[in-house]
Amino acid sequence: MAALKKKVAPERLNFFKAGLIFISFIVTAALVMAIAALFMVPDVKDVWESLQSEEMIFSLKLSLWTGLLSTALVMVFALPIGYSLSRFQFTGKGFVKTIIDLPVAFPELVLGLCLLLLFGNTFVGKFFSALGLNFIFTTQGIVAAQFFTALPYACRIMKSTFDYINPRMEFVSRSLGYSMFETFMNVSVPLARNGILASTVIAFARCIGTFGTVLILAGGTYMKTEVLPITLYLNISYGNMGMALTSGIVLMVVSFAAIFVFEQTEVSL
Amino acid sequence: MKKILMFVAVLIFWTGQCIAADLIVFSGAGLMKPMEEMRQNFESNHNVEIDVHYGSSGEIFAQVASGQPCDILIPGAEKYTQDALKNGWVIEETIRPLVRHIPVIAVPKGNPAGIKSLDDLARSGVRVAIGDPKAPAIGRVSKQILIKNELWENVTSNISVYAPTVNQLLIYVALGQVDAAMIWGDLVTWAEGKGKLDVIHIAENRNIINNIPTAVCTTAPHMDLATQFNDYVSSPEGLAIWEKWGFERWRP
Repeated sequence: MAALKKKVAPERLNFFKAGLIFISFIVTAALVMAIAALFMVPDVKDVWESLQSEEMIFSLKLSLWTGLLSTALVMVFALPIGYSLSRFQFTGKGFVKTIIDLPVAFPELVLGLCLLLLFGNTFVGKFFSALGLNFIFTTQGIVAAQFFTALPYACRIMKSTFDYINPRMEFVSRSLGYSMFETFMNVSVPLARNGILASTVIAFARCIGTFGTVLILAGGTYMKTEVLPITLYLNISYGNMGMALTSGIVLMVVSFAAIFVFEQTEVSL
Repeated sequence: MKKILMFVAVLIFWTGQCIAADLIVFSGAGLMKPMEEMRQNFESNHNVEIDVHYGSSGEIFAQVASGQPCDILIPGAEKYTQDALKNGWVIEETIRPLVRHIPVIAVPKGNPAGIKSLDDLARSGVRVAIGDPKAPAIGRVSKQILIKNELWENVTSNISVYAPTVNQLLIYVALGQVDAAMIWGDLVTWAEGKGKLDVIHIAENRNIINNIPTAVCTTAPHMDLATQFNDYVSSPEGLAIWEKWGFERWRP
C-alpha cells in the first residue's frame, strides 16, 4: 500500500508538467483575448457598412485575384523545388536551400527593398519591361511581392511532404518502365495530394497577408495597389478605425480558414 | 531550476523596463533626426527615459484620438495640432510654433526629366510621386499646393504612386523610380539623401509653408516632465538643433 502511494505521488505533484501546460494556456489565453478584441471592439453595423464601401470592395477583389494568381505561380515553382530538394543530391543544394529559405527569416520590408532595387534599373528590370511586365507601382508588382514572400513557405511544406513519401513507390514505378517524369506525375504528385493542398492554403494565406513587400514594391497607393493589409494600414493613417478593423477581421478569417484546412491535411511544416 | 527562474524573472523585468517610459512623445516621422538628438540630450540631462513614437501625422493623430497615452504631440503640420485643440486633446497655452516646414520638389541626381518648377510636374511623361493626401502631412500639403497653382487636374495623370509614408518618397526618388516627388525640404538635407538627389525649390508665393508646433496633451500622464520637454524643444538650445538638421526657424 505504502509502495503504491509512493508511485502515485510524483504523478499528482508533477510541477514540471503542470507548469508547462500552464504556460501554454496563459499564452493561448492572451492570444484568444487579443483576437477576440478585434471582433468585439467594432460594432456590427460599422463593419457591415465598411464591407460595402467602394474602397473595401476594390481591396477585396484585388487581394483575391492577386492572391489566387500568386498562389498558382508559387505552386508551379514550389512543386519542382520541393521535389528536387527532397529527392536529388546535387552540387549547390545547400546553397539553393538556404537562399530559398532566407525570406522566411528576413523582414518583408527588406525583401521589398531588394525587389525594388532588382526590378528598378538593372538588366533584370529592363528584361521584364521588354516583356511588358512592369513591377514597380503596379498590380503585377503586388503579384511579384506576394510570390517571393510566400514561395519559401510553400517550398518547405512540399519538401517535407516528399520527405515523408517512401521513395520505394517511385522505384517500383521506375522498374515497371515508367520515365522519371511519368513517375513524378502519376505516383509522386498523387501521393503528395495532402501536402499540395496544405502548401496551397498556406501560400494563399501568406499572399493575402503580405504587407511590407507590397508596400515598397507596389507603392501601396489608395484604390490602385491597395490590397487588404494596405487597406488596414492606410485606414489607421486616415483615422478610420471601422475600415481598419474590418480589413483586420477579413484577414483574420482568411488565416483561420487556412489554418483549419492545413490542420485537416495533417502535414508537418 | 533556480537559474531558469532567475532568467525568466530578469526577462519579465526587462520587458517591463522597455515599456515603462517617463515621457511619451508622438512625433511626425519626418522629424526623426532633430527629435532623436533632443531626446538624447533631454534624457541625459534629466536622467529619464523618453519614448518617442514616430508615425505619419495622420497616424499619430489617430492614435491620440483612440486614447493612447501621450504627453506631447509634435505633428508635421499645424493643422493637426489645431484639430487636436478643437477636440480638447492639447492645452492651448502650451502650443508653440517651432520651425517652418517647407515643401520642395526632389528629383533624382542630375534631374533626368529636367524639372525646373511646379509646372513641369504637369508635363506629359513625367513620373511624379506624392504622399497620400490623407496620410502624411506632406501628402495633404502637396495636393493643396497643386490645387492652389491650378495644376492638380493635370498632375494627377502623371502620379505613379501615392505613398502612405514619407520615407517611401525618398527611396523612390533616390532610386530613380520617379522623376520628381514633393517632399519636405528638411528631409532631403539628411545625410542619407545627400548625393542621391537634387532639390528644386518652389517659389515662396506659390508654396504653402506650414509651421511645426509642439503641444502638451490635456491627458498627459507625466505633466511636469511634459511641460519641461515642451519648453526644451522650443528653447534657443532646442531650436539650434532643429536648424542643424535643415529646418528654418518659424517667422510668421
